[in-house]
Amino acid sequence: MGRLARALAARAVESLLVVVALASLVFFALRLLPGDPARLVLGDEASEADLARVRATLHLDQPLAAQYARFLRGLATLDLGDSYRRPGTSAMARVGEALVPTTQLALVGVLLGAALGVAAAIAASGPWLPPRGRLWLERAMVAAAAAPLVAFAPVLTWALAARLRLVPLPGDPDAGASGLLFASALLAVPLAAHVGRIARAALADVARAPFLAVASAKGGRPLRVWFVHALPPVVGPIVTVVATQLGALLGGAVVLERMFERRGLGTLILEAYSSRDLPVLEGAVVASGLLFVAAQALGTAVHLAVDPRARAT
Amino acid sequence: MKRARAASLAPLAVIVAACLIAAGAHAGSPGRLDPDLAWCSPSWDRPLGCGEAGVDLLAMVSSAVLRGIVLAVVVALVGFAVGTPLGAAAALARGRSERFVERACDLLQAFPTFILALAVLGAVRSPSRVHIGAVFALTAWAPFARLALAQTRVLRDAAFVEAATALGRSRVGVLASHVVPNLLGIVAVQLGSTAAAIVVSEAALAFVGLGPHDGVSLGGVLDQGVAAMLRAPHVLVVGAVAVAATSAAMLVAGRAAEGRTR
Repeated sequence: MGRLARALAARAVESLLVVVALASLVFFALRLLPGDPARLVLGDEASEADLARVRATLHLDQPLAAQYARFLRGLATLDLGDSYRRPGTSAMARVGEALVPTTQLALVGVLLGAALGVAAAIAASGPWLPPRGRLWLERAMVAAAAAPLVAFAPVLTWALAARLRLVPLPGDPDAGASGLLFASALLAVPLAAHVGRIARAALADVARAPFLAVASAKGGRPLRVWFVHALPPVVGPIVTVVATQLGALLGGAVVLERMFERRGLGTLILEAYSSRDLPVLEGAVVASGLLFVAAQALGTAVHLAVDPRARAT
Repeated sequence: MKRARAASLAPLAVIVAACLIAAGAHAGSPGRLDPDLAWCSPSWDRPLGCGEAGVDLLAMVSSAVLRGIVLAVVVALVGFAVGTPLGAAAALARGRSERFVERACDLLQAFPTFILALAVLGAVRSPSRVHIGAVFALTAWAPFARLALAQTRVLRDAAFVEAATALGRSRVGVLASHVVPNLLGIVAVQLGSTAAAIVVSEAALAFVGLGPHDGVSLGGVLDQGVAAMLRAPHVLVVGAVAVAATSAAMLVAGRAAEGRTR
C-alpha cells in the first residue's frame, strides 16, 4: 500500500502544479497582453478617476510581483476577492454555485458514455451479432468518435425537440431532469465512441486469453463470460480514456450549457468574459482546472484500486 | 498507392474549390446584410438561403470554411514544426528530459484546451484570427512531440544512427539529418487530425461568442441556427453540415501522408 500512496501523492503534487500553471497563465494573460485590464472592464469612455478606482479595487496599481503573490495566496485560500460586477458576492461563491449543475452534467455524461461505450464494445466482441453487424457497429463508433459535438448536438436537438417534440426545447426553464438527461446524452456520444473503440481493442486482446476459454468450458453463458470475466482486465484502458476525454468533456459542457441556456461553469465563464468580471473569470477557470485534475486523479486511483497489475509496476 | 493518396486528398480539394468558386462569385463582403430577406429559405438566387438579417449563407459559409481551413492548416503546421524536433530531441537525450517532455505531452493532450482558449482570449478585447490561432498553437504541438518521441525511441538504437554518432556527428547533426527525416511520414499523419480538431474548436469558440471579430465563422452560422431553430431550420443544417464536412475532409486528407510512409 505504501507504493500506492506514493504514486497517488506524486499524482496529487503534479495535479496541483497543473492547476497553478493554468491559473498563472490566465493571470499573466490578463495582465501582460496588450490592453489595460481596467479599460477592458470600464470601456474606452471611462474617466481617469474611474480607471484609478478600478485599478485600486482589483489591485492593478501594485507591482506585478505583489499582484502575483496576492493571487497565489488567494488560490491557496480559495479566495480570489469579490466579484467585480456583483460587489459583496465573493467570486468563489459564484463559481461554487455554478459548479453544481456542471458537475451533474459531466457526471451523468461520463456514466452514460462509459456504460454505452462498454455495452457497444461487448456487443461488437461477443457472439450475439452477425459479423456484418459487428463491422457496422465498429464503423458507427469510428464515425461517432470523429463527429464534432458542436455540429451534431444542435441538429439532433432540432430533430428531437423541435420536430418530434421528444425532449424539451433549449432554454425551456421547466426542462428539469429530462433536459439534464438529454444534454448529458449528447455529451456522452463522443465519449461512448472513444470508450467503445478502446474497449473493443482491449477486449480483442483478452478474447484469446485461456481464462475466457476456461470460463466458457465451465458452462458460463456468453453474457457472464464477457461481463464478469473479460471486462475487469480492461478496466484500466477504459478509465484512462475517460480521464483523457475529460478536457474535451468540459469544453463540450460549455457549448451545451450555452446552447441549452443552462446555468453552469460554462455560462459563468462566458458571462464573466463578456462583462469583464476578472476575479470570477480567474476563479471559474481555476475551478474547471481543479475539476479536471480531481477527475484525473480519481481515474488513476480507480485504476490502481481495480487492477493489481497497475499496482505492481 | 499514388491513386489512394490522391483519393484521400479529393474531398478537401472539392470543398476548397467549391468554396473558392462560391466566394469568388459573390460580389462584396460575405457579411453584407439584406434585412428584407432575413431567414429566407433556399432559392435560386440564394442557394443556401439567408440567415439573421438576410446574410447570404452561401457566401458566409464558403468564406468561413476557407478561413477556417487556412487557420487550421497554419496552426497544425506550426505544431508539427515545433513538436517534431522537440519530441525527437527529448528521446535522443533520454533520461530526465525524455520523461519530462513525455509527461508534459500527456498533460497537455488531456488538458481542457477549450477552457484555456476561453481564458486566454478573455484578455483580448475582440479576438482576431491571429489570437485564436496562437491560442490553439499553445497546445497543438503536444501530439506531434508525443509521436516523434515514441518513434525516435525506435530509431535511436538503429544502426545508421549509431554509425552517425560513431562518425563524430554532433547530437544536433544526427537529429537533423538522420532522425527527423525518418519521422516525418509518421508524424505527418497527425496533421490531418490536428487540423480537423482546430476547425471544430474554432467553430465551437465562435458558437459560444468568442469568434473572430469580423464574424465570418461557421460557429456564428450555428449560433444563428440555434437561435432560429423553429423559424429557419435550414440555417442550422447548413452550419452543421459545413463543420462536419470540413473536419471530415481534413481527417481523410491526413491519410494522404499515411500512404507515403508505407
